[in-house]
Amino acid sequence: MPHGNPRFVHGKILHNTGSGIFYRMEVAIPERIDFVPGQFAMVSGWPGNDPLLPRPLAIFRSGGVRGKGTVEFVYKVVGRGTALLSGLHAGDPLALTLPLGHGFEFPGEDRSWWLVGGGVGFSSVFPAAAALEGQRADFEIFLGARTRDQLPPGEWIPGGAVPGRVHLCTDDGTAGFFGTVAAALRDRIDRRRPTGPARVAILACGPREMLKAVAELALPLDIRVQVSLESWMACGFGVCWGCVTAVRDGEKSGYRRVCKEGPVFDAREVVW
Amino acid sequence: MTQSVTPDLSARVGSVLLKNPVMSASGTFGYGLEFTPFYDISRLGAVIVKGLSLLPTPGNPPGRIVETPAGMLNAIGLQNIGVERFVTEVAPRLDDLGAVYVANIYGRTIEEYEAVARRLSEVPALAAIELNASCPNVKEGGIAFGSNPEGLSGLTRRVRAATPKPLWVKLSPNVSDIGAIARAAEEAGADAVTLINTLVGMAVDPRTRRPMLSNVTGGLSGPAVKPVALRMVWEACKAVKIPVVGIGGIQSAGDALEFLLVGAAAVQVGTANFRNPNACVEIVDGIRDFFVRERIFRLDDYRGKLLLRE
Ligand SMILES: Cc1cc2nc3c(=O)[nH]c(=O)nc-3n(C[C@H](O)[C@H](O)[C@H](O)COP(=O)(O)OP(=O)(O)OC[C@H]3O[C@@H](n4cnc5c(N)ncnc54)[C@H](O)[C@@H]3O)c2cc1C
Ligand SMILES: Cc1cc2nc3c(=O)[nH]c(=O)nc-3n(C[C@H](O)[C@H](O)[C@H](O)COP(=O)(O)O)c2cc1C
Ligand code: FES
Repeated sequence: MPHGNPRFVHGKILHNTGSGIFYRMEVAIPERIDFVPGQFAMVSGWPGNDPLLPRPLAIFRSGGVRGKGTVEFVYKVVGRGTALLSGLHAGDPLALTLPLGHGFEFPGEDRSWWLVGGGVGFSSVFPAAAALEGQRADFEIFLGARTRDQLPPGEWIPGGAVPGRVHLCTDDGTAGFFGTVAAALRDRIDRRRPTGPARVAILACGPREMLKAVAELALPLDIRVQVSLESWMACGFGVCWGCVTAVRDGEKSGYRRVCKEGPVFDAREVVW
Repeated sequence: MTQSVTPDLSARVGSVLLKNPVMSASGTFGYGLEFTPFYDISRLGAVIVKGLSLLPTPGNPPGRIVETPAGMLNAIGLQNIGVERFVTEVAPRLDDLGAVYVANIYGRTIEEYEAVARRLSEVPALAAIELNASCPNVKEGGIAFGSNPEGLSGLTRRVRAATPKPLWVKLSPNVSDIGAIARAAEEAGADAVTLINTLVGMAVDPRTRRPMLSNVTGGLSGPAVKPVALRMVWEACKAVKIPVVGIGGIQSAGDALEFLLVGAAAVQVGTANFRNPNACVEIVDGIRDFFVRERIFRLDDYRGKLLLRE
């Protein structure tokens, strides 16, 4: 995938509003940026040195024209950094380094794409859906959450109005499929027989256990799987070597940077 | 009518001339190449590249960093491509960037340090070698050369003999008498000392009962260490005649000025690059603006001019 060169920019928040457990934040930036779905930004908005490090957030959308851009994020409050972000208002400054990392790869092939998002993982999966919709590709979306109110609002789902396209799954059965996304995928694969899973590719983002379950289900069936991993990051652009994950490298294994070689990896390489 | 004169920020670390006193710190700046999308790195005094060892080093398992109040702990374990690949693959690309480069080196044994220094002596792009005598995150070998004057002296002497390049010795703050350590480096032939490296620290998760870092302990850096670093740099400046390069928690021009004021010949900026990739150049510009405002014409008119009560 082509990597746009990263930039460090000072933006200004246009809006930052809560919707259920998620916040959606749009930021005005000096230049329009192009990004590959799965790429992310390092974001810091709070003054002072505590928390010290910026936080990685997937780029949800970007827009604008030359000389004037916007970028949008979706996030969930889980700790101090995201809590501070949620307290920012329209007009507040935000520092951003973006776009970063290696995103999802979409070879322009004739495939069915299954996009899998667990928790807030939809934030990097929806941009992929939007791109596939633009290519008029065939895709379905699987969204997993603990309960109904932890699913994203339906109107955020690109192409979500198409019947049969969106599969909701909840751990407690309060919406859609009663069970994990991996179980829903298993079900979907069974229903696809006898044609089998040929020419299906999966793009997934979510908790590591979910990604592992999806990989273990799909890889033996020769379904290509790309997973977007998370990791604690200090820099986000490849210089601190703090964010590594273990990968199989031929016979050997080694550590690769989630922020640079990732966050999207071919699931066959990942050592879970 | 006032005339604005551009102050002369040039600095000197022994025989190495720098256009300004701001350098990037090792391990926080890659090989410099990673910063070229952000700015022209030749605007810096120098770029200290990531620590190099004799053989490629895989580094520690994940769980390498954790944020702490106004700081961070890291236990990267010196993941790097090894000196050979640096010399053949990376070094040739550095020439075009026009920056002053210093290589930071690490070995598990004195022989490894010597071998790395010898190999790097052949690289014209390098202005100096910075010897990391104190990586807190590498267990092998077990000898922390930097933790006592005798160990440091022996190491410095041997590496000094192995390379004609200017030799800077980077000191560990995890010692009781930094002045004695700095003097040991000076007497053993170091051209400069640079300090501080990270302070050994630890963080645990009370719920899972596990350490946050796979290595259990790690090195503390960032604003949290600045007062300790400043005190140590001041003590080192009083202890030796060779140049002292100040490092530790520098985030702004004001922070850098504090180190220069206590006598540092120049400074290095590490962790600040993570939140703001432009941190180093913004510090250069901030120092220049300060000098213009304060009508200071040369770095030497300010450096080491700390006013102490009689
Ligand atoms: C590439 C990428 C893209 C992402 N995209 C999104 C997105 O679009 N939306 C979104 O909501 N989130 C996203 N995330 C996750 C998001 O970055 C984190 O939720 C955020 O950084 C948490 O910051 P915080 O300060 O709120 O929480 P913190 O307070 O930093 O941490 C929350 C919890 O984690 C623990 N913790 C902190 N540091 C460590 C450590 N080093 N090791 C182990 N445990 C630790 C804390 O103790 C605490 O319990 C993404 C992450 C990555 C890597
Ligand atoms: C992620 C990370 C990696 C580092 N790697 C090295 C290294 O390879 N060699 C070295 O001498 N110092 C290394 N350091 C130490 C820094 O160069 C510097 O001495 C220290 O971080 C204090 O400065 P700071 O507070 O500005 O970061 C590293 C620091 C960090 C945070
Ligand atoms: S976060 Fe610094 S190298 Fe990945």
